[in-house]
Amino acid sequence: MTAMAQPQSTPSPWSLTTRVIVYSAIGAALYAVFNWISFAIQIPGAESVSVRPHYGLLTFFGFAFGPVVGFLTGFVGNVVGDQLTGWGAFTSPHWSLANGLAGLIAGLFPVWMASRMTSVGSKALTAAVAGVVATVIGFLVIFLGLVLTPEMDFNTILTTEYIPVVIANSIAAAIVTPILVLAWEPISAQMGR
Amino acid sequence: MRAAFAYLGRGSWLARRDPRSILLAAFFFVLGAPQIRDSRHLALILAAAVGYYLLAGIPWRAVRRQWLLLVVVIGAVATINALITGGQSGGFADAETHVLVTLPPFGTEVSAEGISLIATQVLRFGAIAAVGFPVAYAIAPGDLGPALRQLRLGDRMPVMVDLTVRFIPTLSTEFGETIDAQRVRGFDPLRTGGSPMTRLRRLAPLFVPVTVGSLTGAEDTIDAMDLRAFGVGKRTWYRRLQMDTASRVVVGAFAAFLVVATILNVTGQSEHYLLPFLVP
Repeated sequence: MTAMAQPQSTPSPWSLTTRVIVYSAIGAALYAVFNWISFAIQIPGAESVSVRPHYGLLTFFGFAFGPVVGFLTGFVGNVVGDQLTGWGAFTSPHWSLANGLAGLIAGLFPVWMASRMTSVGSKALTAAVAGVVATVIGFLVIFLGLVLTPEMDFNTILTTEYIPVVIANSIAAAIVTPILVLAWEPISAQMGR
Repeated sequence: MRAAFAYLGRGSWLARRDPRSILLAAFFFVLGAPQIRDSRHLALILAAAVGYYLLAGIPWRAVRRQWLLLVVVIGAVATINALITGGQSGGFADAETHVLVTLPPFGTEVSAEGISLIATQVLRFGAIAAVGFPVAYAIAPGDLGPALRQLRLGDRMPVMVDLTVRFIPTLSTEFGETIDAQRVRGFDPLRTGGSPMTRLRRLAPLFVPVTVGSLTGAEDTIDAMDLRAFGVGKRTWYRRLQMDTASRVVVGAFAAFLVVATILNVTGQSEHYLLPFLVP
C-alpha cells in the first residue's frame, strides 16, 4: 500500500466551522467584557461614544481569523457589551452593525493581500492599515441613524459621532491590532494553525 | 471583577414566558418605534413600554444607574443635535423656528422645535430601552441558545451566542487576575498622562495576555466540539421551549404595533409634533 499525500484545500473565508464559532464566541465575549470595563471613559465631543482601546481586538480577530469571525466579534460583542453596560442590546442596532462590518472588512485584508504578507513585520503593518481602513468604511453604517433617529441631522452625526469615533477607533486599531498580531503569530505557528 | 448577565427578573410574569416572545417583542419594537415621530404617540407608547417593562419584575435598585446613564446620554445627544440644528431637522427641517433663547458666545438658538425634538428622542429611546431591558434580565442565560435555535437561526449561531454568554464571566475573572498579576510586577492600570497612543500601548500588558491566553485555551473547546462531531449533522438540544398562549399574545401585540407604526409612517400620520405650550 502506498501512502499518498492528499492536497489540503484551504477552507473558504466564509465557512462557519467549529473553529470560527469558538473564536467568534471568544472574540465577542472579550469585546463585550472590555466594553463593559471601559464604558465610563468618554472622549469630549463624542457623547455617545466611549473610548475603546479594546476596539483593536475586533480588528485583530477579523484580521487573524477571517471576515466571519470579525463580523461576529464586532456585532455580537457590541450587542452583548451594550446589554452588559445597561445601554440595551437593541437601543443602537446600527452601531453593532458598524462594529460587525469593521471586523468583516479587516478580515478581508489577509484574503486580498496574502501574497504581500511575507514576514511577521509586513503582516503587522498590513494589520494596522486594515484596522484603519475597516474603521473608516465600516462606521459609515452609523449614518443609518438618520433613519432610526429621524430627529438627527447629517451634520450632527458626522461631527459628534462619526468623526470622533473613527479617529478614536482608528488610533486603537492602528496600535492594538499589530501588537496582538505580533504576539499571536509565533504562538499560532507553534500550534500549527 | 466579574461581568455576567444577571437574571434579575427571575420568577416574574415575563420571565415565565417563552424567551422567543421577549426577543421577538424587542425586535418588532426596534423596527416600529423609529417610524413614530409624533411625541403624543410616543408618550402613549412609552407608557405601554413601561407597563411591559414592569411585567419583568426587574428590581429598581439593581438597574437605576443604568437608567440614569441612558437618560443622561440620550438627553445629551438629543440636546446637542437640537443646538447644532437649531431645531431645523426631521419634520421641522424647512420650518421657520420659534426661537426661545439665544445662547452666547456663538448665538446658538434654543427653539421650540428643538425642544420638541429632544422630547421626541427621549421618549422613543426610553421606550426602546424599556422593551430592551427584559431581554437582558428576564431571559435565563441558559435559554438564550435554545430560543435562538427555535427561532430557526440554525445550530451554529445559537451555539456561538451561548458560548459567548458562558465565556463572559470566565474572561472577566481572568482579566481581573491579569490586572492583579501585572500590579505585582509594578503595572499601574490607573496611571494617566501621555498621548492617546502612549496610553494605548501602556494597556498592552493587560490586553495581550488575556487575549492570547483565551485563544490558546479555545483549542480545548474546539477539540471537544470536534470530537463530538459538532456541525456534522443536525444537533439535538436538551432544552425545548414551549410557546404558551400568553407568549403568543405578547408576540401578536408587538407585531400589531409594528404594523400600525408602519401604516402611520407610510400615511404620514405621525410627523414631528411641535409642543404648543413652548410657542410664545
